Amino acid sequence: MEMIDLSFSYPGAARPVFSRLDLSISEGDLILVQGASGCGKSTLLRLACRLNAPSSGTIRFRGTDVTMIPPAELRTRICLVAQIPQMMDASVAGNLLLPFSFSANRSKKEPTRARLQEMLREFYLQDLTLEQSALKLSTGQKQRLALMRAILQEPDLLLLDEPTSALDKESASMIFSILERLNSQDGKTILLVTHSDYTPAGPKVRGFEFRNGNLLFQS
Amino acid sequence: MNEIVAIQLPQLLLALLFIIMAQVTSMIWHLGLNRDITIGALRTVSQLFLMGYALTFIFRAESLPLTVGIFVVMVVSAVFIVKGRVRERDVPYLLPTFLTMVTSYFLTALFVSYAIVGVTPWWEPRYFIPTAGMVIGNSMSALAISIERLFSQMRQQRELIEMKLSLGADFREASSEIFRSAVKAGMIPSINAMMGVGLVFLPGMMSGQILAGTDPLIAIRYQIVVMFMLVGSTALSSIIVMLVIRRRCFGSGEELLLSQR
Repeated sequence: MEMIDLSFSYPGAARPVFSRLDLSISEGDLILVQGASGCGKSTLLRLACRLNAPSSGTIRFRGTDVTMIPPAELRTRICLVAQIPQMMDASVAGNLLLPFSFSANRSKKEPTRARLQEMLREFYLQDLTLEQSALKLSTGQKQRLALMRAILQEPDLLLLDEPTSALDKESASMIFSILERLNSQDGKTILLVTHSDYTPAGPKVRGFEFRNGNLLFQS
Repeated sequence: MNEIVAIQLPQLLLALLFIIMAQVTSMIWHLGLNRDITIGALRTVSQLFLMGYALTFIFRAESLPLTVGIFVVMVVSAVFIVKGRVRERDVPYLLPTFLTMVTSYFLTALFVSYAIVGVTPWWEPRYFIPTAGMVIGNSMSALAISIERLFSQMRQQRELIEMKLSLGADFREASSEIFRSAVKAGMIPSINAMMGVGLVFLPGMMSGQILAGTDPLIAIRYQIVVMFMLVGSTALSSIIVMLVIRRRCFGSGEELLLSQR
């Protein structure tokens, strides 16, 4: 994905959130964007999957302008996990299989129950049953479930918005170890924004800091 | 049948006792409704007298442009009443609402006066205007409920909608439950009215016809047509308006345009 000359302002705002920003993400990258609250990190992710439209600039995905890709199809390939995990009033399985009820995912094969059970273990959720209500889970469990739901769609790029902001240290480290495994073992491309001082490990990790509307390369 | 008993001015003034009763109730219980009751009573009297004279003129004139003109004025007024009940600034919805209302109500009123009642010409004001008035009045309330529900639910459930969009839902899939519940909320009063009519209440039109000396067996036939017409026209206009408005809640990238309040 390439973000070229990207600017964004909220309607009626005096100052842009950011202007003339460039970012390039290659396959297998784990891009970490850090910065203070309200600096525009989340907006960057929302622009990448078209939940907001940029004021100016271009976003290309595999060489194609994202505005040329049907929005629903784009979002099955570039998948955002929001800061506050949202669950339907349904079972754990019902929530995990939700994306497969959408027409853009019709060609994808729905995962089996055995696969879901296996993934629950991989995401440290082995205590859950597929039948229990997802609404009654803790925030940490919901966050991992939301991440798992996104992964099940096998997106090309995973966008993660502060996945550990509401979690205790233990739950946060679980999420980070899952992310490192997804990136280094499974080769998932991840764009992660956070204001925590977490530093992921891996050969394709790149870190940026969002400061005064600019992305500064760190490592 | 007996001749209709006309209400004379002193008797009309006697009806003011009901308004005084409401004013006293509001005062004793500190309901804060005195001003609204006064304005409401004044508007009822002035608007109905105005309409009475206008209708007398229109019925005598028997003019197609005048009949259609009155119909359009009624729809415009209804749109502004809907606007008053739905406080929405982010999404422009008045023009599509107006166009849908004009088209669907016109077709309904035309069908009833021409095909069912069998009036010639189809625009005979004595039939066309009251029929359109009932359709507009009933459907306007339904639309106001549905539109208000759609906007408020979209805002309340913004995160849930965006979660579905993020997982590959298109805008229809992401908002299907809200859409259904909003349309249903608007339609329920018309359906409930069909359940209760004749048992719980006698509708205004039928009562009016009976008071005016019409055979009750003729009046009920009109009422049956009216009840069916109201449900049908409400369903038609609600669905079309809501489909248009829902699309306008999302941008070209199917992003939700309504911000949280």
